[in-house]
Amino acid sequence: MSDVDAALDTALQPLVGGQGPVQVATESVGASAISAWCAVMSEANPLFVDEAVAASGPHGGIVAPPATLNMWTMPVRIEGDSVGRDTDQPQQAAYQLLDDAGFTGVVATNSDQAYEAHLRPGDIVSARTTLVGVSPQKQTALGIGHFVTTEVAYANQHGDPVGTLTFRIFKFRPGTGRQRGDEPVDDSPRPERPRPRWNQDQAWHWEGLRQHELRIQRFTGSGRLVHPPVVADPTTHDMAYDWVVASGRGSLYSWTAPEHPKVPAFDYPLVVGLVELEEGVRVVSNIVGVRPDQLEIGMPLEVCWLDSHDDVTLHQFRPVRPDRRTDTLVRGDVSVGDRLPPCPIDVTTELVMSGALATFDHQDVHHDSDAARAKGLPDIIMNILTSSGLAARWLGDWAGDQMVFRNLRIGLGASNHPGDTMTMTGSVTDVGEGGAVTVAFLGTNSLGNHIRGSAELVLPEGPQGAEGSA
Amino acid sequence: MWTPARRTAIVGIGATEFSKDSGRTPMQLATEACLAACGDAGLDPTLVDGMSLFSMERNYEIEVARNLGIPRLRFFSMVNHGGGGGCATVGMAAMAVHTGAADYVLAYRAFNERSWHRFGGGVQAHHQSPEANDVSFSWTSPFGLLTPAQWAGMFATRYMHQHGATSEDFGRIAVVDRRHAANNPAAFFHGRPITLEEHQASRIISDPLRLLDCCQESDGGVALLITSAERAEGLDREPAWIAAAAQGVAEDQWMMRSYYRDDITGIPEMGLVAEQLWKSSGLGPADMQAAMLYDHFTPLVLPQFEEFGFCAAGEAKDFIADGNIEVGGGLPINTNGGQLGEAYIHGMNGIAEGVRQVRGTSVNQVDGAVNVLVTSGSGVPTSGLVLSSEGG
Repeated sequence: MSDVDAALDTALQPLVGGQGPVQVATESVGASAISAWCAVMSEANPLFVDEAVAASGPHGGIVAPPATLNMWTMPVRIEGDSVGRDTDQPQQAAYQLLDDAGFTGVVATNSDQAYEAHLRPGDIVSARTTLVGVSPQKQTALGIGHFVTTEVAYANQHGDPVGTLTFRIFKFRPGTGRQRGDEPVDDSPRPERPRPRWNQDQAWHWEGLRQHELRIQRFTGSGRLVHPPVVADPTTHDMAYDWVVASGRGSLYSWTAPEHPKVPAFDYPLVVGLVELEEGVRVVSNIVGVRPDQLEIGMPLEVCWLDSHDDVTLHQFRPVRPDRRTDTLVRGDVSVGDRLPPCPIDVTTELVMSGALATFDHQDVHHDSDAARAKGLPDIIMNILTSSGLAARWLGDWAGDQMVFRNLRIGLGASNHPGDTMTMTGSVTDVGEGGAVTVAFLGTNSLGNHIRGSAELVLPEGPQGAEGSA
Repeated sequence: MWTPARRTAIVGIGATEFSKDSGRTPMQLATEACLAACGDAGLDPTLVDGMSLFSMERNYEIEVARNLGIPRLRFFSMVNHGGGGGCATVGMAAMAVHTGAADYVLAYRAFNERSWHRFGGGVQAHHQSPEANDVSFSWTSPFGLLTPAQWAGMFATRYMHQHGATSEDFGRIAVVDRRHAANNPAAFFHGRPITLEEHQASRIISDPLRLLDCCQESDGGVALLITSAERAEGLDREPAWIAAAAQGVAEDQWMMRSYYRDDITGIPEMGLVAEQLWKSSGLGPADMQAAMLYDHFTPLVLPQFEEFGFCAAGEAKDFIADGNIEVGGGLPINTNGGQLGEAYIHGMNGIAEGVRQVRGTSVNQVDGAVNVLVTSGSGVPTSGLVLSSEGG
């Protein structure tokens, strides 16, 4: 350890164990903030937004989505170009020391929320934060830095506990990431995929793909659809055809996952699927956003696009965002090993920025790409409250409106950058007493696992006698 | 070439217009010409069951058959050496219809040798417009489906899903082949049997195919000498009689990628071969004492038992259990070790082993082997033989 590092450590360690003054939110829990949050997360549970439905629901009125627990006391952005630091708070003091030592980069790595009561519009949230640890210096892919862990206890204006949060961030020195120093940068151009070849009998199909249309040959006499295209209707021998644009929806008919030999043009795991389109014909394509062990024959898929060459676009297929259940799963509906339907989420600039704003997270790395680059990131990154919110929405879509979260634990790995797609997958790992169901899940993007998480959900009891009466 | 006198005939002719720029693909020209020939003869094109080509034809028979909707193609051949083969296509067709190998045979040539590929340009010619056979790979290769194992993997997953077969069921084929090979001094894997556990531990090549589901690439050669019954009598060896020989291309046939049929868990071109072999030999599954089944990939062995009627569709996993396909079982297979155990000589070594079985000279001899089934490539335009120790 260098003298500088030793000095930093000497300054940091006395802060550990410290507890700051109670921080009281400057604004109450607001219905409009809840609505904005739900809009960004595509959360459709009426118990969060619809007064009439919520009044007759299990909570007797609108409640805030549990995943918003820590956003109501987020530090307020003050004048100037940085988020204000209240150094009475031990964790803020630690962040300041780290900033001053050059560890100006920041990413959240863990958020473990546990819920004790629902928050309702009008509630004033208060938080008491304990700094529970600052790690020794670590080298990660992002850079050299320190993990800082806090525990926060939240209460409402009546002093009733509403939940707790264990939160960990990584403060790192920009420019010290492994990929910048220790590992040679491979900047050789990536080889292209095998190039499709076509002639005038199929050119219309490939032109369609360029326009994001999946065109299927239709013989005009018989109306028969054929794929891959031919020149004559195999039944009538009529040669007059046009095409229909497929809806892009289908289901998985079969698949294989090539592993050997690996071809540099492709990412692995690679899944080649045989997709049965809802129009009734099959196409060979890639299944993206899911690993081989997450595939199920018959799973619904939708088309997406890959520009594979300067002048070639390929269709690809990915899981369809599952429909939100209109009823709620009840105890007995769920068994250990049950899989949740995979759900792709497009990570757009709009989602990253509006997610940060809707969760009151004004850190510049979530909305300012120049600032993000200055801190050693390739682009803006999704904040952890948005990642948590999206995971919670997906879990709620699966379980239904009346499911109650007991906790939500999120560990972040590979960042969510604009232009990527995160696919949620998960399965039930435990079914406990009292309807508590544990789900372990992943949010996977092109770089790896963005989220590795788990949640405990409490399901309502089913109708009397519906279960176990046989 | 032997063409019977006045016993066969050309009954229809068809052509496109002749130009310096057809404006159409060679595939369309071929299809038009074939339809015109059928029209001239007044024949429903789907009754065509033979195609006779000569080399440099780039509109392969399976492409034309797919367009014509031909459900059963029982004879297909390509005579080598370009233009000199023209009349030979008619000769081959004549032999086919005379012998009953096919009822109606189309012979054709179609190309754009002026507007696409300047034929007279020799090797400098550069053609920009891919022909049907080039195009056919564009539906799979850009997605990373590039090798035979990967093509087979797509069938395997569906077969497992539909019939409840498992990777272990595939593995049982490999274990039996390697057990037979272990006893065969000529086999690459002589003395090297495998266990099902070793199969299950072998690495994934293209999920669900494992390394030990795939045959090895081999160097080697196999040749076979065929003659007439009369001439056979003057030779040293007991003949392995050809009780039946047949070819098969089924509806919507592709090379290892027939993914667009209603059901992809069967091998209907094998079924067409089976139907003809049983019919022309007068034999059936119960008459076979052994079978040499093409085994480049284990998942494509299982449906062969089903197509040849040794068991019902989807039941091969039960048929192969309990030693039934080992020497001593009900239907020993691949007694040379197959392509998984002996060598991958494109199935020609399986024919040679079939001959050894009916001669009684196999290292894994099946007691009382009189009739032996031999199959060729699975998932491709294929063929089969019934060999017998009993002459006509």
